[in-house]
Amino acid sequence: MLLAIAEQRSGTLNKVTWETVAAAQQLAAGEPVAILLPGSSHSSAVAELATAAVAEVVAVENAALDPYTPDGYVLALGEAIEELKPSLVMLPHTYQTRDFAPKLAARLDRALITDVTGVKNDGGGRVFARPMFQGKLTAGVMPQGPTPHFVTFQVGAFRADRSIKGPSPAPVRSIGVKIDASAIRQKPEPPFQEARQAVDLSQAERIVAVGRGIKGQEHLPVAQRLAEALGAELAASRPICDAGWLPMERQIGSSGQTVAPKLYVALGISGAIQHVVGMKGSRTIVAVNKDADAPIFEVADYGIAGDLFEIIPALVAELQK
Amino acid sequence: MARETLEVDVLIVGAGPAGLSAALRLAQLQKTTDAAPLSVAVLEKAREPGAHALSGAVLDPSTLRDLVPDFVARGAPLAAPVTGDRVYFLTRTSKIRFPITPPPLTNHGHYIISLNRFVKWLARLVEAEGVDLFTGFPGADLLMEGDTILGVRTGDRGIDKHGARKPIFEPGVDIRAKVTIFADGVRGNLTKELMRRLQLGAGRQPETFALGIKELWEVPPDRVAAGTVMHTMGYPLRFEEFGGGFIYAMPEGKISLGFVVGLDYKDPMFDPHVAFNRFKLHPFVKNLLDGGQLVGYGAKALPEGGWHTIPRCYADRALIVGDAAGFMNSLRLKGIHLAMRSGMLAAETAFDAIRAGDTSAGRLRQFEIRVNEGPIKRELYPVRNVHQAFGHGLLAGLTYAGLALATGGWWPRPMRSEPGHERMRKLSEYYGAARGATAETFANALKPDRRLTFDKLTNVHFSGTRHDEDQPVHLLVHTDVCYTICTEEYGNPCQRFCPANVYEIVTEAAAKKLQINASNCVHCKTCDIMDPYQVITWVTPEGGGGPQYDGM
Repeated sequence: MLLAIAEQRSGTLNKVTWETVAAAQQLAAGEPVAILLPGSSHSSAVAELATAAVAEVVAVENAALDPYTPDGYVLALGEAIEELKPSLVMLPHTYQTRDFAPKLAARLDRALITDVTGVKNDGGGRVFARPMFQGKLTAGVMPQGPTPHFVTFQVGAFRADRSIKGPSPAPVRSIGVKIDASAIRQKPEPPFQEARQAVDLSQAERIVAVGRGIKGQEHLPVAQRLAEALGAELAASRPICDAGWLPMERQIGSSGQTVAPKLYVALGISGAIQHVVGMKGSRTIVAVNKDADAPIFEVADYGIAGDLFEIIPALVAELQK
Repeated sequence: MARETLEVDVLIVGAGPAGLSAALRLAQLQKTTDAAPLSVAVLEKAREPGAHALSGAVLDPSTLRDLVPDFVARGAPLAAPVTGDRVYFLTRTSKIRFPITPPPLTNHGHYIISLNRFVKWLARLVEAEGVDLFTGFPGADLLMEGDTILGVRTGDRGIDKHGARKPIFEPGVDIRAKVTIFADGVRGNLTKELMRRLQLGAGRQPETFALGIKELWEVPPDRVAAGTVMHTMGYPLRFEEFGGGFIYAMPEGKISLGFVVGLDYKDPMFDPHVAFNRFKLHPFVKNLLDGGQLVGYGAKALPEGGWHTIPRCYADRALIVGDAAGFMNSLRLKGIHLAMRSGMLAAETAFDAIRAGDTSAGRLRQFEIRVNEGPIKRELYPVRNVHQAFGHGLLAGLTYAGLALATGGWWPRPMRSEPGHERMRKLSEYYGAARGATAETFANALKPDRRLTFDKLTNVHFSGTRHDEDQPVHLLVHTDVCYTICTEEYGNPCQRFCPANVYEIVTEAAAKKLQINASNCVHCKTCDIMDPYQVITWVTPEGGGGPQYDGM
């Protein structure tokens, strides 16, 4: 059995979970797929997951799982995994997963492959691709040792909309786990003010990003209007955030965030490799740049060589029709 | 928050070949005595040893043989023994092979190595001896009392870009030592400050430097035999510029190639990175690389001045070793073995001095005597004038270099050199007042093709360089001459001599502004050296930041 671990906070499902479900369905090759959701009370999230074409949805319920703590998750998931005996456990490579997955794998003494971007089967078994040297090289990794093996998938490695829905809701069952409250050593504080305000661009479906071609902070509303017309988040390449025109949390690239939205519109961005590594996983990339030789056009699906100050207002007008 | 203090017997600043050889030699010396062992600490700004170490490199194993006699059995990472040497003079489109390889450039018995792997290996030997290696801790400030060096203060962590303390703020640690060995590399920030405060360069020639830019490539394995060492002179440099290319072939199609340019060029529009790209486009080099792939990039300054430019390397409770002092043979293009030798000699000096209870300058002068009576002077003295001779152009340099081999370097008096940055000419002088900055220039004629040649920003990506973005800029520009004077006089050459795209003049709201992309910095020190007004100071960024060289 392949087990996909879902992620939720206060009953709201993290959308990345659907990428993990899609990954599990694509790798299953006849094996059953199950989804496991840790938490305390999350009926709406369970119902949402049950729409997937999977063998079952398993809810691991325990009051000690809310709020999240790495110790609580390791204890609960460890027990559930030993009961379910999956061959492969799949997780989205989120901050939360990064926090507990290594510990969980170490506790069970099983192999863990992190930040996976793709999977191949070379006949001898699954080979997981993961980036090395900041994405310059890709390593093929095969897990060794007894199962289950643990794999975490980079955001955008699989497409959420490729997850398959079932004709009827999947069966749901709940398993209880025993957690000794005294074994939980962390006491979480409420999420940071900063963290609450910060935009998580990795969750955005559409992104409009601006680069140096925007010329000045006073021109940002041009891009802002396009973002609003598209229902997109506004992001930027490094020089814009360096200049303080947009906050650093909106920076895309190797020193900012890595994103993979459905639509990425790059305005006046030359396409330095440091920027491209942060957005090359986007499904459709549209680039507008004055320089027809700019490297951004090498990764763009649609390119317009021209002046963004002419093109963007025209696009906005068309979108508003 | 209270600042912590650590007391040790010997503090070594910098875990490169010199610093680690000193540490290893100290550990060896401890075993010769029953007395209580000395405590030794090594500071290194890189996250792991070797991550900031960059060189060609061909290793002369003479010092290694003395320091680690069983280095092969202990797994020294030697990529390939040198099997053949070739030297070429390049013209724009063809090459002329020197009929014989000049003796200083023969490398029989030497090894091609990756310096950063070699340093990593040395660090393991040092750690196995129980020496504390503090990686991720830069030496930021000198601790001094009068003319006596008490130790070093490491850099603070957790300061944001406006200078305010972040929640994770941790003040640097004061490390006090009976002897501090400065092995902080070429143009080391602490050695520079020490030389200034104690006038250690008095009576010597000014230091001169070069910049080396290097790439690591993977090419089809049958392209060139592993162990082949090639050096070039000539194109794309003109007779007035000092430097040349190197190509070292390692197994499995890995090629180290690079270009070294003297940081004493006259043309303010000259760009070492453009020279490197032109070198790669020469048919000879292009044919080697075609169909291959770039896997690594790096840049670093080299001390080129030689014997007459080495400062006084001892002070009260301090010694200076390796590239920081300038122990490099620019004629043989080698310094690793000299850095290691100077580290060993410094360790021996410090060990004796601490045992004798006297670590004053008078006692530590033993280091200079050891240098003068040993293999370092034997190697550097005969070629003492060579780099200075190249200051008169390639032909004069080659002629003198040939003469020096026959005469042991004799010349009526020490040849004079001037600081490299003072040789840079103003635009009006170099191009003539009438043509000024609009003249056909060195820099403007090359557009990277992104397969064989790359722009600096792409190259930086291949150096693995990372710094915490939210920290103060570590390149201090002291005055604002950039637009008032420099644009007109030199055309802002910082944009060109920096091989990592740190300096950019951007136009913002119709006003020009110097933008310092500090997090691109590969710690090569060129700006600190070559800025014509000497207003740029390289200080240490937060520990752990910088390039992440692997296999370079």
